[in-house]
Amino acid sequence: MSGDREIKIVFTGPMGAGKTTAIRAISDAPPVSTEVANTDRATNAKPTTTVALDYGQLLLEDGTAVSLYGTPGQERFSFMWEILCRGSLGVVLLLDGSTATACQDLQGYAEAFRRIDPNQPFVIGVGRVPPDDYRLDEYARALGARGIVAPVFGVDVRQREDVLLLIETLLCVLEAQMPEPDHAAH
Amino acid sequence: MQPTSQHFQAAVVEDALRLLEAFVDATPGVTFAVLSSADGFEIAAHPRGVARARRLAAMSSSLQALSEAMAGEAGLEGIRNLVIESNGGTVIVLGVGKVTPRLSLTVVARGDETLGRLLWASRECCASLERRLLPATN
Repeated sequence: MSGDREIKIVFTGPMGAGKTTAIRAISDAPPVSTEVANTDRATNAKPTTTVALDYGQLLLEDGTAVSLYGTPGQERFSFMWEILCRGSLGVVLLLDGSTATACQDLQGYAEAFRRIDPNQPFVIGVGRVPPDDYRLDEYARALGARGIVAPVFGVDVRQREDVLLLIETLLCVLEAQMPEPDHAAH
Repeated sequence: MQPTSQHFQAAVVEDALRLLEAFVDATPGVTFAVLSSADGFEIAAHPRGVARARRLAAMSSSLQALSEAMAGEAGLEGIRNLVIESNGGTVIVLGVGKVTPRLSLTVVARGDETLGRLLWASRECCASLERRLLPATN
């Protein structure tokens, strides 16, 4: 894949998985953020939460301009999931691996976003786990059992290289899905 | 279950409900009003039991945050309210800004009531809510 083109990628996952942080880590310019005070400390103790979207931009070395959209995590904002997925080529699904519900979250979000667009590829980034954590394989198997094949990485979303790995992997998956050029045609 | 009023005691929420009821009943064209937290939880709504109240509360939160981000991008600040005019009526989202964390009042009106009258009445309702809710947050 090369040439000057624009693509849109959506970051999603549960509240506190690091969507806003991930986009901030790779966006070329300070991202648009819609964080407000979090009043639901029972679900997550963090002080703020995204209620509309995050938006950042990333220019890759091959000239590809990537628009980065982050969703709110909570189900009550699921209307934003559908809006933000319009025109998106793929989904980066982030999880907090230190929570007991990570695998359940993975399946819930993967199925919700599969319903929104059955053709979108996923890449999974699991935070707050050792990079070689044995549970990463379990996550991949849990997805596979639902007919979803997606690469799973242990990541630190504060690290630009880790988030870029997710983006580059998603682009590789997209490229693999593209139809082969018809060399026989003239 | 989704929490709906973390910050306020039941008596305060009841007062907010009464204020919303009086506002809806007294303002021509207004069919629905919901008070919600900045992060999209319904605190009080009138009429009660409207199925879409929770979704409207969450959408108000998204729209208000996005409006503030857009105004900031445009070099503006101090969002006062957000107006959606449609063929069937009007939706107004107002910040109940003196309460911390900020709340939103969303007003749905049908028909052709003038925007100025709607805004004036909605701001009066916001002021009443602030007077009642502000002491509860201190």
